[in-house]
Amino acid sequence: MAVIEVKNLTKDYKVNKKGKGLGGAIKNLFVREKTIVHAVKDLSFTIEKGEIVAFIGPNGAGKSTTVKMMSGILNPTSGQVLVNGKDVAKKRKEVVMDLGVVFGQRTQLNWDLRLGESFELMKRIYQIPDERYKENLKVMDDILGINEIIDIPVRQLSLGQRMRGDLVAAMLHSPSVLFLDEPTIGLDVDGKYAIRKFIKEINRVKGTTVILTTHDLGDIQELCERLIIINNGELMEDGPLQEVTERIAPFKTLVVEFYDGEAGVHPKAELFYHEGNIAKYRFRKADITAAQLIEEISSAKEIKDVSIEEASIDDIIRIAYHGSNEKI
Amino acid sequence: MNIRKSITAYFYVYKIRIQKSLAYHYDVYGNILMQCIIMFAAAFFWRALYAGETVVQGVAAEQMYIYTVVSTAMSVFFMNDVEQRVMRSVEKGTIAVEMLKPINLYGIFFFEDLGKLTALCFQNLLPIVLIGSIFIAVPKPANMTAFLLFVLSLVMAYLIHWLLAACFSMWAFVTINMNPLLQVKKHLIRLLSGSIIPLWFFPDWLASILNCLPFVYIYQLPLDIYIGKEGMSNILPRLGIQAVWVVALFVLFMILQKNALKKVMVQGG
Amino acid sequence: MLSGIRHYTSVTLAYLKLSILTVFEYPANMIGWLISNPLQFIVGFATIQFVVKEFGDIAGWNYGQLAFLYGLAIISHALSMIFFVQGWFMGYSVIEGDFDRYLLRPMSVLYQFCFTQFNLIGITDLIPGLCVFIYGCIQVGFVFNLRNILALVAILVGATFIRGGVYIAIGSSSFWSKSIVDFGGYTQELFDKTTMYPLSMYPESVQFILTFIIPIGWVSFYPAAELMGISTDAFMPGAAPLISLGAGALVFAVASVVFYAGLKKYESAGN
Repeated sequence: MAVIEVKNLTKDYKVNKKGKGLGGAIKNLFVREKTIVHAVKDLSFTIEKGEIVAFIGPNGAGKSTTVKMMSGILNPTSGQVLVNGKDVAKKRKEVVMDLGVVFGQRTQLNWDLRLGESFELMKRIYQIPDERYKENLKVMDDILGINEIIDIPVRQLSLGQRMRGDLVAAMLHSPSVLFLDEPTIGLDVDGKYAIRKFIKEINRVKGTTVILTTHDLGDIQELCERLIIINNGELMEDGPLQEVTERIAPFKTLVVEFYDGEAGVHPKAELFYHEGNIAKYRFRKADITAAQLIEEISSAKEIKDVSIEEASIDDIIRIAYHGSNEKI
Repeated sequence: MNIRKSITAYFYVYKIRIQKSLAYHYDVYGNILMQCIIMFAAAFFWRALYAGETVVQGVAAEQMYIYTVVSTAMSVFFMNDVEQRVMRSVEKGTIAVEMLKPINLYGIFFFEDLGKLTALCFQNLLPIVLIGSIFIAVPKPANMTAFLLFVLSLVMAYLIHWLLAACFSMWAFVTINMNPLLQVKKHLIRLLSGSIIPLWFFPDWLASILNCLPFVYIYQLPLDIYIGKEGMSNILPRLGIQAVWVVALFVLFMILQKNALKKVMVQGG
Repeated sequence: MLSGIRHYTSVTLAYLKLSILTVFEYPANMIGWLISNPLQFIVGFATIQFVVKEFGDIAGWNYGQLAFLYGLAIISHALSMIFFVQGWFMGYSVIEGDFDRYLLRPMSVLYQFCFTQFNLIGITDLIPGLCVFIYGCIQVGFVFNLRNILALVAILVGATFIRGGVYIAIGSSSFWSKSIVDFGGYTQELFDKTTMYPLSMYPESVQFILTFIIPIGWVSFYPAAELMGISTDAFMPGAAPLISLGAGALVFAVASVVFYAGLKKYESAGN
């Protein structure tokens, strides 16, 4: 069942052009030029129940704008977003009852007071029954150990602790969809681990659909079955991690160690790294199989050791951002 | 850092600030609209009070209208926000780095404020004077000497107001939230400087106390000179006191700045 | 409907509790405001005395009557500070993306904007307001009978909503301008000039505007005049408190229309 349907979503902004220098500033007083920036262009996709989906793309690609339209913060210029069949722009209050949202760089917790006060407030805002509130808080404590920090004022929490608090606050009303905007930004290794574990657990136990934007490769590797790559406001790629890799980075790297500093060459593989006895070849799976390549190189020149590397997520993201023409 | 370099830097921030101020239209229109409404409200207020009288305390209704227009226009000179900026830097924890830079932080603030003022003279002061002249009274000075002395006094008033703000901003190093304190200062200036009700309506005992405080040298003295309320023999000594306040506040500012710097060096902000 | 009321009441009480707790986190703040806020009104009230001494009655109102008016105006000012001061700072909320949070919660955005943080500091304005008002009541011999008390309640509720509506309507302009303009000082100056002195001292055109178009006259002038038995040009004599109440509802309704029209233009932060 589709939890989220995004149909032809478009968002334009009007931006004032600013003149350069003092002359331009004075001119601006009288004449104002406006340009239209297309932040998101005709985006369509659906997300099924229980999926964990990563939105990736460079800064300013339109990720945040898309997530904000999906959660009802921004009104689309055209197109629509349906969450559980309801139009977000038209039925905001009904839709948000079923959404949990955490923005990594801002908190919705009350800065001055103990963490627990913010939870109590959520309980009232979302009209969470006592039993469910206690039950949810217990589940959160099992995963995140939230009871250890519940009596500390939010301003005294570390960034990682605060993020845990924010996640709990977003999940107390048992939403079926959780939006996370850069949830692990600025966190240390332990912090990242805790957040990822939480996302996995909540997805497994409660079947929560999770949509996250991130620049963190670890997040993607550990959490996401599906990638949506956005650039310049357009959908570049959409599919399982494996499939996207196959599609946009259909090559492997063969690392060969020779006995001396000389490396062999092969017409179907590109020698892109050579230092000392180590040489690296990049080859397309369609052109030649790994076994064949090893055989042909080793028949020309004796080799000591080989290993094969798949394209890393790093590569995939870079190719997606810059277009596949660029040399890697 | 040599002097020429720092002058270049100051001139640069001055210019940038003019550009920045000119870029905001809406603020400008909003400010003009609000200031004009307040100017009209004040003018109507005096018209109602002067309904049955011609001259009160040696001041005619016409002079009071000029007082209103000039006082509103003058408010442009007193719109700096040194305190808020220092407060923000302290909150963000960047104050130490900023204060230890080779170029004086307050120097930068001062020239930025001058830049903003320059922009405001075109954006706010001119329209206010124009609208005031058409609908309320043409703000012509009592005479040419009065006008020149007014300019001199206004410059000193600007310095007093700015230095007062700079001195107040040092509180940011001591307390977390100095908004209440700034409110006290704002209301003292608003009500005791003659910007709304001229000092001559205050009882004598209060007026003589106020004459010992710096506030009256912000609005009241330049305005008195402009409308020709007092003769030259009264004005010159008061200008002298105003100059003393400028010097005194400057010395106070230097001392406070030195202390603040010491504090910043010790705590690292 | 009933469950809606229960929901909003329970959240309002929670917000109130959090606001009180926050005040106790920073007691020094409250003490600072306790000095600074009364100061401005005491000085302001003193200047009225100087003016009256110099010019005699203002538009036919003597010092006691002016105190009554001034006190009433400060009390509604204080109430509007407690509930609606956010309107003064709407520009900051627009630029910094505060509305993101309100839009993500299943409650009215305007409600959340106004009430998320009760400004209990406003109580420090209430103190000089009550002092001046009680002084005025003694001077003009105002009787606190049931009818008058009910009238006062109606006036203050109406006046608070008129003020709040104006703050919100002006603040909403930030949705279009996308810039931070701190209208607080101007708004207060404007209200001070129009609510703390008799409206009848202004030209008829101004009186007309402040009676019918931006009904600031109903904040203090008309109802105060009626309670003291001073005749004004107001229509429907005897109904001033009720008209204040109605005007409050009307102004606030218009303000919320403007607010929600502006909210459609909201672009969150960082764009």
